[in-house]
Amino acid sequence: MTGEPADVPTSASDDIPPGQRLFDNWLLLMIAGIVIMAVIYTGWGLWEIATMPKATLP
Amino acid sequence: MSAHETEHGAEPMHTGMVAPKGRWWVPAHKSEKVWFTIAFAWCMVLFAMMPLWHWKGGQNPSGIRSKVEAADFKARVDQFVADYKVDEMNNIPVVEPPPGSDVYLLGRMWTWYPVLKLRKGVEYTLHLSSIDVNHGFSLYPVNINFQVVPGYDYGLKIVPTEAGEFSIICNEFCGVGHHMMLGKVIVTNEDGSR
Amino acid sequence: MSTIELNVPQSTPLSTLTRLFRRCEVTGLAVHRPAEMLMRANAVAATVALLIGGISAILILLTRWQAVHLLQPMMFYRVLTAHGISMLIFFIIFFEMAVLYFAAGPLLNSRIAAPKFGWFNFALMTTGAVLVEWMIWTGKADVLMTSYIPLRAHPLYYLGIIFFAVGALFVCFQFFATLVIAKREKTYEGSLPLITFGAVTAAIIAVITLLHGAATYIPAFLWSVGLLDMDPQVYRMLWWALGHSSQQINVAAMVAIWYLLGAFTVGAVVLNEKISRTAFVLYILFISMASAHHLLVDPGFSSSWKVVNTSYFMYMAVLASMLHGFTVPAGVEVGQRLRGVTRGLFGWVKNAPWSDPGFSSLVLSVVVFGFVGGITGVTIGTEQINIVVHNTLRVPGHFHATVVSGTAVAFMGLTYYLIPLIFRKKVAFWRLAQVQPYLFAGGMLIFSIFMSFSGGFGVPRRHWDINFSGAPFQQAFHPAVDALMAIMALGGLLAAVGGGLYILITVWSVFFGKPFTEADRVAGAKGLPQGIIRPPRALTAADNRNLPSGRFGHAPGTMALVLIFLAAFAVYYFANWKLLSFVWKIG
Repeated sequence: MTGEPADVPTSASDDIPPGQRLFDNWLLLMIAGIVIMAVIYTGWGLWEIATMPKATLP
Repeated sequence: MSAHETEHGAEPMHTGMVAPKGRWWVPAHKSEKVWFTIAFAWCMVLFAMMPLWHWKGGQNPSGIRSKVEAADFKARVDQFVADYKVDEMNNIPVVEPPPGSDVYLLGRMWTWYPVLKLRKGVEYTLHLSSIDVNHGFSLYPVNINFQVVPGYDYGLKIVPTEAGEFSIICNEFCGVGHHMMLGKVIVTNEDGSR
Repeated sequence: MSTIELNVPQSTPLSTLTRLFRRCEVTGLAVHRPAEMLMRANAVAATVALLIGGISAILILLTRWQAVHLLQPMMFYRVLTAHGISMLIFFIIFFEMAVLYFAAGPLLNSRIAAPKFGWFNFALMTTGAVLVEWMIWTGKADVLMTSYIPLRAHPLYYLGIIFFAVGALFVCFQFFATLVIAKREKTYEGSLPLITFGAVTAAIIAVITLLHGAATYIPAFLWSVGLLDMDPQVYRMLWWALGHSSQQINVAAMVAIWYLLGAFTVGAVVLNEKISRTAFVLYILFISMASAHHLLVDPGFSSSWKVVNTSYFMYMAVLASMLHGFTVPAGVEVGQRLRGVTRGLFGWVKNAPWSDPGFSSLVLSVVVFGFVGGITGVTIGTEQINIVVHNTLRVPGHFHATVVSGTAVAFMGLTYYLIPLIFRKKVAFWRLAQVQPYLFAGGMLIFSIFMSFSGGFGVPRRHWDINFSGAPFQQAFHPAVDALMAIMALGGLLAAVGGGLYILITVWSVFFGKPFTEADRVAGAKGLPQGIIRPPRALTAADNRNLPSGRFGHAPGTMALVLIFLAAFAVYYFANWKLLSFVWKIG
């Protein structure tokens, strides 16, 4: 994440939980979204088509 | 003091236009958690229904799926017609395959070929393919719909559960004659009568 | 609504500040002028696309209404192509570009990244759109919006779509770059506002969508000029990753706009940032896979692939929608209760600004999207139920309830705030504006429901003649179908009146509308929505005392509504399984 300073708590009582840090990190969320779709939908789908057997036409 | 009062007691609530400062990752109110749980449980029910229907239900799009060349499929259909033709309707062969056998249906611009004569209560493997563009197999009025993709043989095990005359509508746009593409399936009673 | 101080380097001269920014009197936001110009341009382009799509809609419905049967076959498919592309791609995405500029720029008091690049992108998108429309209307792309290979269009058609998609993708990059700038220049403190987070969701899904669009249209273009082969099943799989996912961009944008309209009209609050953001994150991670909805009865894929993908990964994205379905109305309810509208279970509904078209649009959008669009969508997207649904009118019946009665209605409602806030004009024909959402959403509701009923009888979508003239056999549909399709057409015509009003009002307001002064606004001049004349008052901690503290939480009215929703969902869903069980055995 170039140009993005790390989250610093504004005061001692404000430490940000990891869930909030994750949700603030849109780049990480985007990568996760792209990867999940690329693997489960696109990758798996292409694999299914590529490995489909030839018809025997019984 | 309720959980909400500790979250909201000292702070005014804000709209979605406001950038929330500090820690906003806080527990939800009990009622929100209840809705989350109910919604989650419902989603699990939704998800379970599909495998359940595969296991116990009678209608699944699983099929025997394979790749096929247009010329090979056409040749197989012609053989199928030659083997089992019993009649003709409007110049289209009517084909009556043996019970339990492989049945072939060709979609092409703009006909379903041939007319099929099946028997109620019997299982057949219906092979669907196209030798040109995408077509939509739509059996009316049962309302069974499958995509017919050129280059693919979709082999579906079907059991007609009622006798009668059924139409095959094309419901995937395939050019100007799309609406003229209407086929026919005749289902006889178990004893072969109409 | 709180205001945030504009935080720029001390050395910036005032002349630069006022040249680049203006302060909005209503929201207190610092509006970057270049951003505002880009928002205007994209909103205008969206409206032009809507007009083309709307005229096409009327021609189509007058053809599917067989008693009229207006167009000839090829013209019908041509106009249908134009309708799909103009509405689902051009109208919606141009509008969303405006939303992205707003959410990263003015909503964060920030300047947007590279405004000149924004104009390049706008030119690219407009060029692409014009190229596509030209190809369609000159008969060189009679392939419908999906252009399934091996149906072939002119190469320039595919190229036009590529230009449009690339331009939109670049605007998404500008959006993310703006977020970086806003954070670095500290134009806001803390986390992004929820509405911007919703825009982030839309933008991420847009990136996923457009990457798949490139993977679809670049090979398709090369195939159209004979340079490579493309497998029809691969094409369908990739196309739907663009086609359905683009609708999920719309869902995210629509939900973000729900929160925005709620804020503008009644000061709706965020009950819990974690819950609302979790719902958006579930969208980001899982919603795109539901592109598989269109491939459930295709030969190319196993049932495992179909079940995992069509369920958005175990329905996690449906969970997300059900969360928003609670938090959005609850935000309205609590926003009302905090400000003293506390009578009974539904006083907050009764004493709401129904004559504010921004508010009525919000409610109509939420209700029709949820009850009709959402419930039908999840049901017909079930692997097995899809057998009795695929390519029947139940499919467009569903999506006219989601993207049209949901997303488009929300966009229209937002426009009534956009016109004064961004175009700085009063809304023309104010009385008509107040009824417009009801006409459009009401007409669309009738249209969607009766279209779905017809589809239940097996009536095909994208079909010129259900009397099958010229076919070797005869087939008449159930006699009810004629009446159902006629009512559908009438609903559509009502919606067309509502849509036409929207275009008239917006175009007139933007080009011939009267500007207004701050004094006009405060005096409650006609043509300004209530949320602009008298913005919902800022909340204090003391208002929290108005919150109900019973077992049903702070939003008991909403809790009742979502339970009714769940009951309706369960009934519709299981009824469909029951109906499926009567069909022939297939496996």
